[in-house]
Amino acid sequence: MDGVDATVRGSVRTSSAAPPSLLTIILDTNPLSWSHLSSSLPLSAVLKTLLIFVNAHLAINHANQVAVLASHVDNVAWLYPTPDDGDASKQSSQTNGHTEVADEHRVVSNKYRPFLTIEKNISKNLRNLLTSDIPSAEALKSPPLLAGALSIALAYANLQLLKADPMTSDSASTGTGAVGAADLDAHTSALRTARSGHQFVSRILIVSVSQADLSSQYIGLMNSVFAAQRLNIPLDVLRIGERTAFLQQASDATSGVYLTYDPPNSTANGTNGAATASFSSATAGLLQTLMQGYFSDVAARKLLVMPGSAEVDFRAACFCHGKIVDLGGVCSVCLSIFCLPLEFTSCPTCQSPLRVPKSVTTKPVAFARRKKKKRKIGDGGRDSAAGTPVPN
Amino acid sequence: MSLSSAVLDYLQAQPGVTFKRLYLQPPTVLAVLRRMLPHLAKNIIMAMLFMPEPFLEEDLLTWIRAEARPQRDEAMTVLEQLHILTLVPEPPTPRAYRLNTAFASSLRQALMGGGSTNSFGVPADKDAPGPKRTVEELDKWARKQWEAILYYMVGSAEREYSREGNISSGTRKLLEMGEFIIMRGGRADITKGGFTFLLQEANAQVWTLLIVYLENSESVSSIHTKSKVIENQSKDIEQLQMDPVEMLSFLFMLGSLELGQDYNTESLTKTQFHMLEDLHDFGIVYHPPDARGRFYPTRLATTLTSSDASLLSNPNSSLSMNSGKGSIILETNHRIYTYTSSPLQIAVLALFANLNSCYPNLVSGKLTKKSIQRAVEKGITADQIIDYLRTHAHPQMLKNQPVLPPTVVDQIRLWQIEGDRMEATPGFLLKQFVNANEYRETAQYAENLGVLVWRNDREHMFFVTRIEQLQQYLAKRKTQAPRR
Amino acid sequence: MSDSDNEYIEDHSSGDDHNLNVGGSGRAQRQKGSGRNATSKPGTRARWERALRDTNNEPNVVADDSRLAENISRRAEAQKRARIRKDTKPFQRGIIRHMVLVLDVSEMMLEKDMRPNRYRVMLRYLEEYILEFFEQNPISQITVLMMYDGRCIQLSELSGNPNDHINAIQKLRDGDGKDELPKEPKGSPSLQNALEMSRAMLYHTPKHGTREVLIILGALLTNDPGDIHKTIASCVKDKLRVSIIGIFARMKICTEIVSRTNGGDESGYGVATDDVDLRDLLMASTSPPAMRATEQEDAAANLLVMGFPSRTEEEHPSLCACHGELTRGGYICPRCKTKVCSLPQTCPSCQLTLILSTHLARSYHHLFPLRNWLEVSWDRVREMRTTQCKGCLKKFPGIPTEDDGADKMDGSSESSRYECPSCHHHFCVDCDVFCHQTLYNCPGCQSGPPAQVPASNGETTGDPMALDGAS
Repeated sequence: MDGVDATVRGSVRTSSAAPPSLLTIILDTNPLSWSHLSSSLPLSAVLKTLLIFVNAHLAINHANQVAVLASHVDNVAWLYPTPDDGDASKQSSQTNGHTEVADEHRVVSNKYRPFLTIEKNISKNLRNLLTSDIPSAEALKSPPLLAGALSIALAYANLQLLKADPMTSDSASTGTGAVGAADLDAHTSALRTARSGHQFVSRILIVSVSQADLSSQYIGLMNSVFAAQRLNIPLDVLRIGERTAFLQQASDATSGVYLTYDPPNSTANGTNGAATASFSSATAGLLQTLMQGYFSDVAARKLLVMPGSAEVDFRAACFCHGKIVDLGGVCSVCLSIFCLPLEFTSCPTCQSPLRVPKSVTTKPVAFARRKKKKRKIGDGGRDSAAGTPVPN
Repeated sequence: MSLSSAVLDYLQAQPGVTFKRLYLQPPTVLAVLRRMLPHLAKNIIMAMLFMPEPFLEEDLLTWIRAEARPQRDEAMTVLEQLHILTLVPEPPTPRAYRLNTAFASSLRQALMGGGSTNSFGVPADKDAPGPKRTVEELDKWARKQWEAILYYMVGSAEREYSREGNISSGTRKLLEMGEFIIMRGGRADITKGGFTFLLQEANAQVWTLLIVYLENSESVSSIHTKSKVIENQSKDIEQLQMDPVEMLSFLFMLGSLELGQDYNTESLTKTQFHMLEDLHDFGIVYHPPDARGRFYPTRLATTLTSSDASLLSNPNSSLSMNSGKGSIILETNHRIYTYTSSPLQIAVLALFANLNSCYPNLVSGKLTKKSIQRAVEKGITADQIIDYLRTHAHPQMLKNQPVLPPTVVDQIRLWQIEGDRMEATPGFLLKQFVNANEYRETAQYAENLGVLVWRNDREHMFFVTRIEQLQQYLAKRKTQAPRR
Repeated sequence: MSDSDNEYIEDHSSGDDHNLNVGGSGRAQRQKGSGRNATSKPGTRARWERALRDTNNEPNVVADDSRLAENISRRAEAQKRARIRKDTKPFQRGIIRHMVLVLDVSEMMLEKDMRPNRYRVMLRYLEEYILEFFEQNPISQITVLMMYDGRCIQLSELSGNPNDHINAIQKLRDGDGKDELPKEPKGSPSLQNALEMSRAMLYHTPKHGTREVLIILGALLTNDPGDIHKTIASCVKDKLRVSIIGIFARMKICTEIVSRTNGGDESGYGVATDDVDLRDLLMASTSPPAMRATEQEDAAANLLVMGFPSRTEEEHPSLCACHGELTRGGYICPRCKTKVCSLPQTCPSCQLTLILSTHLARSYHHLFPLRNWLEVSWDRVREMRTTQCKGCLKKFPGIPTEDDGADKMDGSSESSRYECPSCHHHFCVDCDVFCHQTLYNCPGCQSGPPAQVPASNGETTGDPMALDGAS
């Protein structure tokens, strides 16, 4: 009779099939920054490795999706799915995209059709983007529109989440998040991961090369980071160049991976074993970094140890100079951070008069001590203070 | 997933040599990667794919978290069984893992393109003769073919549907070989395995049939001895010695083809060309008899290597049995509703439920004791019914935890074993013996024969299943009786 | 009836609690019926009356079934957007909040009109509320009190760590009577005691933060030891802002408390008619309140000194200053170099507020709110000729050839497009909801120049990759 009892209530239909996953890549396409790197790591090589990475992502699950955005000098453009191209929805929701009859038989018959479609689209769109509008030298120095690209990527991810799982996503967007990863404890993080969708996961990979300062987009960036936290979307950052504090904080807050890739300065086409016959060592290194560090999605990250250091610089930059401060003043109205000692009487952001507490402005002064009369030895008791008062 | 485990078992039964040949084709490698590996294994492979040296075992262990031990063991076992990962004890350094070279190079080829294996299908020339088929036509045709098979099987269970199931004799034989149906005197009768097949989900059904096809193509002689009734038609299954590796690679290649595109048959090997005919019968490819140079894969083919999730998310799927999302709602009062208009689904449901009303898009009924016991008599087990209900449950049902109401599930099982309460054994009861001696000796004789089922020594009665030998024995005794 | 109401309050405050308690509930029932008269001005009606009147006035219109699908989708859109249409005028808001949360743990909370009973529902929403509150106001502090059997008992101390409060509420919910916590609600609540205790809790808070009290009151009476009006006066003097959430009925005394402490504004008093309503009212109070003109002189732009520590990892564990436990890492106060475990906190040795810049950043969307997006009419669509949503590439329905006869639904756009007033890009309803509730950014404004009307020859100028005719 025991065999009848169906009270194995906890048995969820477990399948080792992972949920479908969306990978969004934000590629920084500032031509100036890429030209600096063209000796060791040209854009074409990086594009090739990214395409292989995308193919690998699509290969492991039929329902995986990919989206690629380019954060260009003064606008954000979609590289995949191509907008204004008939059925963008068909490309993303169906099985990795179908296309019309391809032209070259040899290429077609030797490559998996969906891979081919996507590669073609991405290359074509990128070429259009780079050749269409040559921005001015002034515009080239401006920072990449990362906040915009992130916002669009998040809106797209939200749409895919809604499509895959209409019920739970509603509670996720209005539901509870938790304060940043650095001070998450078991309870709140358990509450947060409990809501993470079993039906659909997504993540965002940012490939960043520009040196420019992102502080003008600070508010937009932080809003995007908090939204990504709420939706459980990790922000991975692959940085080629120097460290950026913002991006590091962003990836730490969303449990993403932050790695800096330093291309070795060699232009020689060395072969690194049979695997990378057609690559230079720089691109081979990039590919391996991508494959091992960034390949896993949210479900797999629970099982693997992610790379990246634990030291993140959380200190803020002051709004007046841009210096890093660890002890600063905050305007109580508009929450802007200033370094001490203060140089203004009213807050530059909100123009309200600032009242500075005394503890900041007054200088510490040592109190002058009253001289104590020293006791002279052998003087009898005559000089010790005043004499005994004699009543009159 | 029952599907991938079935294919997995089949593959694991192959010797290592097969794998070497199998992994030469990129689409095979892609299919294996997609369908048969657990999630962690896929990540491991991808990380190792472009590594110049083998992956040290201790590095691998550090990379995977300690709490993920069971997943790690599962992944490593599967990878080793499929001969993808081998442990290479390199002499000076400690043990390391290495990817199978053929697998690795094929996978790299798949990701990067290149090579000249033409393994992803050569599209047909635009001006090849013959009519062009649209996707809708292909879908309709595939549905008709596949449903014919299912109708045939349902028809063997319920007589009224048997006219719908017109399938070729080759397919019929195949079903027999897979032990889904048993030919009893010219009529087909469905078996327990057949019910499992019927109640599986569509993708699993296709693969089960294909595996039976694969297994039975390996040797000609075994086929001849296996099946009892063979009509010697010149059917290709028996005559041709087909290479399972080529067949498997062809199947995987089909999985990577594109819907709506016709392909050239010139680049196919002889084996694969012969397979086209059989696959045409199943409805997996469309091989027009008037245009032998081309073939169209149907939706059944292109979704061979996809997982259930993607099928469910495809709203355009027009195959009725693939109506993607299941549509059965089961309530705690044993009522069952299903939003379908396909007669096949209704027929399957009628096997074990008591349907009482039928609207254009909704059929409702009840699971009663009679209906379940009727199904049990036919040979369907409670577990099969429960799995069917679970796989075809409506998405709204999937939000419950557990999916089906446990009361109903328990009740189905209880009704099944109710039938087991009393077991009836036909036989003969012998009593009223002349004396105790005769009783004892006869009973002893029956026991030695092995036909004795029950005996009662006080009443001098016993029960046997077969009487002929006992009759002879008793007659012999009688003739000897006067001696006593 | 109004006269007797006044008498009623007078009697209450004169002491002699228990007798009045019994009669009080009876009178309270009566007062519920006279709630209509309790609102001050004639002509203003209670919320339930307003709803009644609206549905009576509309004539029954026969729906046009041919437009059924569109009507349904429009209705769904209108429902989704109804939540986000808040006032987005940038007020000065109190970002640093000190809030006292007062719970009603009295007999009336055992009523079963909310499943399983009001008390359990309240506790369930409170956990979500606390998490949401600290998400929206990371540098604020809460303390939780409860009104139990005429007394006011403190559940958790004033702190900025959500776990303290969540643990306290869970202990209360598990209800095993340990730690002197009550197992079941009992007795009647006392608003005066609650207000006095809140006043005491908030006495030491600095002036640059807000001082708020949120009372959840399910009972229809209050059982006070003294004159509640005196308490209200002292609360006003101490600049406390009280808001009350009632359940199922209004009370005049609550209206008075709220209006006097909020300078005449009664909107802080909300009455929940069912559990969804209760949740909405609770969550509405997580947004920082707008600062009032009277308070503004005191709160105008103080410069607060705060520390921004970095996280460090150490080789050997050392004691942390906040708990006295051995930990291997933590944050070092920049002024006195003590180690604390988590942020935001006040440094235990030098009383410096320690926060991360991300905590401040969380409140930016209150100060710089995202403007509401406008519905787009078909004429405008003909001008702009947009086919896809800028944010998610979802396709919009095409321009109809004839005039659309579907119902005009309040809140949803007839063309399913919503336009941002600054960058003139069009978005779909899902992006609208997402951007206003979660993201607080407009993707169009952030990602480049505003959209322009395409040139009259039908071709879009400029970069072919940019959408919607943006140049």
